[in-house]
Amino acid sequence: MSSTPSTSLLKALSPSDHDEDLVQRKALLAEIDASCRLPVLLFFICGTLWLLVGTLFALITSWKMHHPDLLGNIAWLTFGRVRPVHLNTVIFGFASEVAIGVSLWLMCRLCRVTLMHKWIIIMAAVFWNVGVVVGVLGILAGDNTGIEWLEFPPYASPILFFSYALIAVWGIITFRFRREKHLYVSQWYLLAALLWFPWLYSSANIMLIMDPVRGTVQSAVNWWFAHNVLGLWFTPIGLAAIYYFIPKVTGKPIHSYYLSALGFWSLALFYNWNGGHHLVGGPMPAWLVTVSIVASVMMTIPVVTVGINHHLTMKGSFHMLRHSPTLRFMVFGGMNYTVASLHGVLSALRSVSEVTHFTHHTISHAHTGMYAFFTMVMFGSMYYIIPRLTLREWPSAMLIRVHFWFTALGIILYMGPLTLGGILQGYAMLNPDVPFLDVVKLTVPYLKIRTVAGIIIAIGHTAFFINLTWIILRQLQPYRQPTRMIIAATRNAINPALP
Amino acid sequence: MILLWILFLGGFVVLPGSALLAMRWAIRNGEFRDFKKASLLVFDEEEPVGLVTDSFPTGKIVLNTGPSPATHGVSQP
Repeated sequence: MSSTPSTSLLKALSPSDHDEDLVQRKALLAEIDASCRLPVLLFFICGTLWLLVGTLFALITSWKMHHPDLLGNIAWLTFGRVRPVHLNTVIFGFASEVAIGVSLWLMCRLCRVTLMHKWIIIMAAVFWNVGVVVGVLGILAGDNTGIEWLEFPPYASPILFFSYALIAVWGIITFRFRREKHLYVSQWYLLAALLWFPWLYSSANIMLIMDPVRGTVQSAVNWWFAHNVLGLWFTPIGLAAIYYFIPKVTGKPIHSYYLSALGFWSLALFYNWNGGHHLVGGPMPAWLVTVSIVASVMMTIPVVTVGINHHLTMKGSFHMLRHSPTLRFMVFGGMNYTVASLHGVLSALRSVSEVTHFTHHTISHAHTGMYAFFTMVMFGSMYYIIPRLTLREWPSAMLIRVHFWFTALGIILYMGPLTLGGILQGYAMLNPDVPFLDVVKLTVPYLKIRTVAGIIIAIGHTAFFINLTWIILRQLQPYRQPTRMIIAATRNAINPALP
Repeated sequence: MILLWILFLGGFVVLPGSALLAMRWAIRNGEFRDFKKASLLVFDEEEPVGLVTDSFPTGKIVLNTGPSPATHGVSQP
């Protein structure tokens, strides 16, 4: 068993400066998992804590939509503050942290190297969380920038950017040291996300906060950023995880690697132009919006290829959904990637957008992408990774089932009624004979259903948190037995003929 | 101001441009030559094709009784 290479940061960029054995030998999976233990668990635990905070603020926000007086006399808990706190805690606190943790682990596994320079990642995790705390407190104190998806005050963003830069440097080091020279499709997605996000985040911060552009250009930049955070940061990491875990859990290679390559390259070429479709009907050059709509429709190519590929890989293995928690979450997330993306393609069309724009339909669509697809995939990834890091089995199968069913049914209950309510709201707003207050009243039943859905989802999150706390506490106890998965893997490595 | 426009319009060009550069690198490095090999990269001697690697903690290991990897067909373009 080799230990993590102790290289200096400068030497780390050049694999040729190292022992040949170190450069050539592929690390064992157990070595990789051991090297990832502390930094990845740190991201997962902090991310889960932010998930609980974000869920609490989501429930307050949702409740306020049909009971506006709730906590209305407390300045820092007014709607204009709790809503962006919910958004930013789940985006930067939960989703990004878990995404980074999953990316670290996947990158090490696919590059077949142990995680080098752990201190970089641990420092990045600490700074990232400091940035989120500062940002959340800033919003609650009234320093919201008012820019969608960039509500954190100007003094929080540089902390996040510094932290992210550390992670990007680490990603480059790991890639340079990879012992498997051929790249798997998940690595393409991870590398793309790793390199695109800093460009997006820094450009948007410079142009909207540090030295703001004037007038309607702000909205163009804002939607270029906000849509690409979803499409070029979260989506690639979600798809990377699906492309890794479905074959890994089922023991079958991906149905068509050709389709997976087509899906990646078409996403890379088309997605960047999508954000402008949020500005249909706005005071923007028509060509800019039209280009965005065309690019949005072109997204059908990666979405359909990915959907077909995942389905055909799963074909003949759907019975395994009963037995594998990871697979359940992955397949649910993968199916909702198709739903969310095709829904997005439809919503980008001018004829559809003129009805659904400025309605709750858009909120429903955003949650389909960020929760039903991405978050569920991240849950599935954590169910696979954490037992391998802690060398402990998940303590409770029942809590996993509660987690899955409450979050899955909760988000379905969220998406369906709110989509319908948003469409009805859109038609009512287009009708000049309907007073605006009637339009507001029309949406109230759908908003109440959303709150119920939120409570159901919150129960699922609580179940996950209990299970996570439990397994971490077990980690602190003396080691007793390896996990079921490790027994199986070891046994099969010795003799593949064994069942 | 000009710098900002360059940044923004650059954003529309730089991201797909970086993808095109990466594609050039991939072609030159033979990433598109052997799709079958690439599709098997998630497997190795420790966790080979056919091994199911996840189950509920109280469940038993479930063998994949679907199409075998050989007949499952790693598609070629």
